[in-house]
Parts: sequence; structure tokens; C-alpha cells
Amino acid sequence: MKVLELTNVHKVYNTTHVEVHAVNDVSLDFEEGEFAAIVGPSGSGKTTLLNMIGGLDMPTEGKILVNSTDLSTLKPSALIDFRMRNIGFVFQSYNLIPVLTAKENVEFIMSLQKWPKRKKDERTMELLEAVGLKDRVDSRPSRLSGGQQQRVAVARALASKPRFVLADEPTANLDTKSTETLLDIMEKLNMEENITFIFSTHDARVMKKARRVITLEDGKVVSDERRK
Amino acid sequence: MITKTAWKNVWRNKVRSLVVIASVAVGIFAGVFAVGVMNGAIDQRADDIFENEIAHIQINHKDFRSNNDLVCNIKNVNSIRDQIGAMEEVESVCDRLFVAGMANTARKSVGVNIIGIDPREEKYVFGLYKELEPGTGDYFGDPEREELAYIGFDLAKNLNIIRYEITDEVADQLKTAGLPAEISGGIRKFTGKRFDNEKSFKKAMRSVLTEDQEKEYGKLILETSQTFRERARFTLTFVDINNHQTGGVFRVGGIYNISNSMYESSYVFVRDHVIRSLVELPENTAHKIIIRLKDVDDTKAVTMKLKSDFPELEVLGWREIQPDMALMTDMAEVMYGFFMALILAALAFGIVNTMLMVVLERTKELGMLTAIGMNRKKVFRMIMTESVFLSLTGGMVGMLISWIIIRITSARGINFGSMQEGFEAMGFSSHIYPDIGIGFFFIVTVLIIVTGVLSSVYPAFKALKLDPAEALRTE
Repeated sequence: MKVLELTNVHKVYNTTHVEVHAVNDVSLDFEEGEFAAIVGPSGSGKTTLLNMIGGLDMPTEGKILVNSTDLSTLKPSALIDFRMRNIGFVFQSYNLIPVLTAKENVEFIMSLQKWPKRKKDERTMELLEAVGLKDRVDSRPSRLSGGQQQRVAVARALASKPRFVLADEPTANLDTKSTETLLDIMEKLNMEENITFIFSTHDARVMKKARRVITLEDGKVVSDERRK
Repeated sequence: MITKTAWKNVWRNKVRSLVVIASVAVGIFAGVFAVGVMNGAIDQRADDIFENEIAHIQINHKDFRSNNDLVCNIKNVNSIRDQIGAMEEVESVCDRLFVAGMANTARKSVGVNIIGIDPREEKYVFGLYKELEPGTGDYFGDPEREELAYIGFDLAKNLNIIRYEITDEVADQLKTAGLPAEISGGIRKFTGKRFDNEKSFKKAMRSVLTEDQEKEYGKLILETSQTFRERARFTLTFVDINNHQTGGVFRVGGIYNISNSMYESSYVFVRDHVIRSLVELPENTAHKIIIRLKDVDDTKAVTMKLKSDFPELEVLGWREIQPDMALMTDMAEVMYGFFMALILAALAFGIVNTMLMVVLERTKELGMLTAIGMNRKKVFRMIMTESVFLSLTGGMVGMLISWIIIRITSARGINFGSMQEGFEAMGFSSHIYPDIGIGFFFIVTVLIIVTGVLSSVYPAFKALKLDPAEALRTE
């Protein structure tokens, strides 16, 4: 079942003197449960493509369907709501709310959706256990290592049971051990909960784990390799 | 969760938040305390007016106020008074004679209003008898002495009835009150000399005191050195009902002091039957019937009833008698609210600045929150709540401090002794007991919340304008 369809997607930035073609005629499909990496050198358009898939940016041309919904047809408030219910985000620099504990960071999105307290608590504990941080629920981000913070970010991304998770260079700031732990956790969640993961990365360790590797160069897809 | 996050966000930058909280607290304290002092002064003035000067309702002949003529009097006053006294809302009622005249001593003549009263009945309506300056008499205590008069402190000074004298006893009293020995030694050289008025006494004191010593001890020396000419004689002159010049010799039976120099210098009280016979007014007449109510809030209703019961007379509630006081009490709450709003408006600029810094510092975080699904309404609410918490915390601290200070000072009062003359010239006491109702704190709380909300609008709109993708790219 397709969860994401990109058809002839372009993104052009008009600067003062030149026109920058950040994404150039990209067409891709993603099935449910994929564990895919978008790779390429810096400036190849990975983050721009990920932002457009996540509805944070709109294509200049082309169409993006997420769960058969054309994101460009949604009003800004509906788009935010759509993101909250369908897409989980993991960022390179974790972006946790520093004044909240690990538990509160994970709960945050569920509180915005007004989940009942008991259900919210159950889901939070389930996720923090899944990312191996059950004993750090009351720790603030400043008390956690980079790897632990990124695991909390993954738990937060999965909190509202999204259809897929977009992760922008999630391992860029992590050491080898933390990277391996994080990838194992994400792979496990992908397998067990059938959640689609799409990463942008130039980390070889992530590429090695991915079951599909899409390579971008100058905004164009130059290869799309599927592995078993 | 938004509320909880907003509260935690307040304490993210403790120093900055504490600076804002402290500025709000100081502003609110200053405002509330100043209002407490103003309100205390107005309340005291209102109480003094009701208690000593006008009571609640007055009735007079329709032409009395415009003509001030002896013939414009109320006939059958006894039956009218009895009828009014029987009303349920009325606590007490008395009548007065009003005669314009001159008070004269050998050296001075002053224009005065001579009020003829029944001292026994007056005590039920007015509390002026309680304002007797100690040692000056006994408020018509001696029934055998028909010529006694009860005069104001300022009139006594104007008529040179109050004198100033440094005696050994005064020097001892000043020493006990803490007057330094070198000053005490200086003023002792005036022992045995009597000063007929305040001006000459002050001049003499200035010759032995420095400016600072005069500021600190001048009032103490002045008050301690006051002496009264017991049963001092003075004459009252006026015209009788037939426009013949007449008058009588009176003796000071007591001096009242009510912190209203204008009233003190112009109202002389004498027994009504004495003045009645001197001006040849018939029995059973009066110029004013004065009513004290059980509850001041009944003034309007009782005034209306009396107007319909006595259409041939003029019935005036305290608001009509003292329109300036009525305006002051009516406008007081609006004035206080406006005063606080001005203070909060000034503080709002500080809060806006802080909240703008908050938005600027958290650009990336706000981008993340929008990305993960926090809609514009909730972003706005979070920033607004943070701004309200910031201002409300400062406001609560300020209100708590002002409440404590008002509680302390309301028991002891604050003495603005150096400004006594100015205060008393306006009818206000210079010893003010700050007071403020709990309702005012509620109004201030609402104003603080409104300030917090308004201060957050511009920063919140700034936050709403952020593009999440761009915000996430910021470092």
C-alpha cells in the first residue's frame, strides 16, 4: 500500500541573482513499512525533499500525495493538523523542549491531541521502554546524552502513531555506539509497528541498515536501490 | 500541557524573568500603596464630613442658601423634627440656627458662622464634641455658663487665644520627647516670654535653631509650647432679625481640632437659646434640620421621601451639600483604575521587550513545535500564557507586599506632618491611615492579566509569522 507519492516534484529558490533548482523533477513512491534512506552530498536537496514530504515546504511544481492527500490543497491549519496525525519528525539536533522531562516531551504531542491521561501515560511509557529510556522518564534533556536525547525524539515522533517518520540526519551528532542503538530501535519499531521510516543522511552506517537507498545529486534522483 | 510548559518557560532564563517580575512587583506595589494612601485620605475626609461637618441630610428654608437671611427659617421645627426622628432609617436628628457675624478679641476680628445648637442633641448627630483639644475646656460641660462657645483651633490661633510659651515644664516635656540638649539649652533663653501668635514664636525659634533642627523639631516645640487662655473672652457681633447690630460676650468653653482649617476658622458653636434671644428669633424655628442615617446608602431614598413630605422646604443629601466630595468618591475607583492602568502600560513595554527576546531566542524551537503539529492558536496561547504568568507573578508579589505594608500602616497611620498645613487647607488630615478594599486587588489582578495578554500580542504574532522550515534551519 502506497503511503507517499511524489510526481514530478520541483523546488526552485529565487535568490537575488540566480535561480537555484534545489529539487529537480523527482518522482518517487513509498510503500507502507519501508525503511528508506535518501542520501547524497551536501546541497543535493535531501533536506528540501524531506521538508516537502513533511509539508513544511511546498513544491514549486509537481504533486505530493501523503496517504492519498495532496498536501498543497490543505489550508495552513489543516496542514499542521495533518502533520500532527500522520507524520513524525526526528531532527538532527534533537530539538526537544529543554524545560520538559523526557516523559513530558513524549507526551506533548498527545496532549495537543487531547488524549485521555491514562492512555497517554501508557503510550509514553511503552515508547520510552521501546527506546530503552524507561529509567530516565523524569530527566530533562540537559541530563541526557546526545544519543539518549535522540531516542526521546524518536519516541516523541512515534507518540501519535503516525503513518511514517521523517528523520533529517538523525545520527549526524551521535557517536558510533549511540548510532547503532538508535538504528536498532528504529528498525525494530519499523518491523514491529510497520511504520515507514525515511531518513536523509550521508552516514554510511545508516545507509548500510536501510532497505532502500535513494541517491540525490543536484536535486535529481540518480539511483533508487532496493535491498532485501 | 501548554500551561505547564509556559510556566516552566518563565523560569528558563531566571535572571531575566526575575528582573521583569521585580519591575512589575515594584510598579504594582507603588501603585497599590499610593492608591491605598489616596483612598485612606478620601475615606477619612468622607468620615470627617459625615461625623463632624454635615451629617447625611440637611433641610432648610428654600431661600436660605441663596439669601443666608435669618428670616429664611423653618417654622414648627419641633414637629418636623419629631416626624423625621420617627422614620425607620433615621438614627438621629437635630436642628441648628445659623447667624453670620464677626468674632472679635482686643487685637483681631474674624468673620465667622455662628451656629446655635442644643449640645445634648448635637451629640447624637455629630461627633464634633469628641474632637476637643485636651486642656481647652469641656464642650458646654457647665450648664450654668450660658456664654460658653466651642471654637475651632484655627480660629483660636487667629484670635490669639492660643499662645506660645517656653516654661520649665515645657522644657522638661521636650527633653522627655527627645529634644537634644543643645537645642533645649538654646530655647531656654525664651523662658518666661510669651508669644501671642505662631508667627512671632516661629521667628524667635528660628533665631536659635538651624534649618535642619527646625525641620526635625520645629513642630514638636511648637505643639508643646502651646498654651490656651482658659475661658478666654471674645465678642460675637451680628445683626438681629430686625437688622439691628447686636452681639454678646462669650467665653471659650472648648477648642475643637478636626484637620480642616477652613471649617475650624469659620464655625463657632454657641447654645441655641442664647443666640436665639440675641437675634430675636421666635421659638420653634431653626435654619437647618440635620439628619444622621443608620446607613449612609439610604441617603438618596430618604432624601426623596423627605422632598415629597416637605415640598415647601429644601431637602439636600450629602452629595448636593458637598458635590466636590461626591465627585471625589464617585470618581475615586475610576481614578485608581486609570492610575494603575498607566503604571501597567509603562511596565508593558518591558514585558513586550522580554517576550520579543523569548520569541527570537526560541525561533528553532517554535519551528519544531509547528512542525510536529502545534497549531497557530496553541503557539499564540503558549506565548500569551507565558506573558501572563510573567506579569501575574510580579503583580502578585507587588500586591502581597502592598497588602502587608497597607495593613501595617493602616493601624499606625502615616504622618505627613511637614505638609500638615497644605493637607488641612484642603480639609484632609495629615495623618493618613491607608486603606484599600479587597475588590481593588481583584481589579488590579484583572488589569495585570489584560496587560500580560496585550503585551504578548506583538511577540506572538512574530512567532506566528515564522516559517517552520526556515525556523528549523536557524542555529
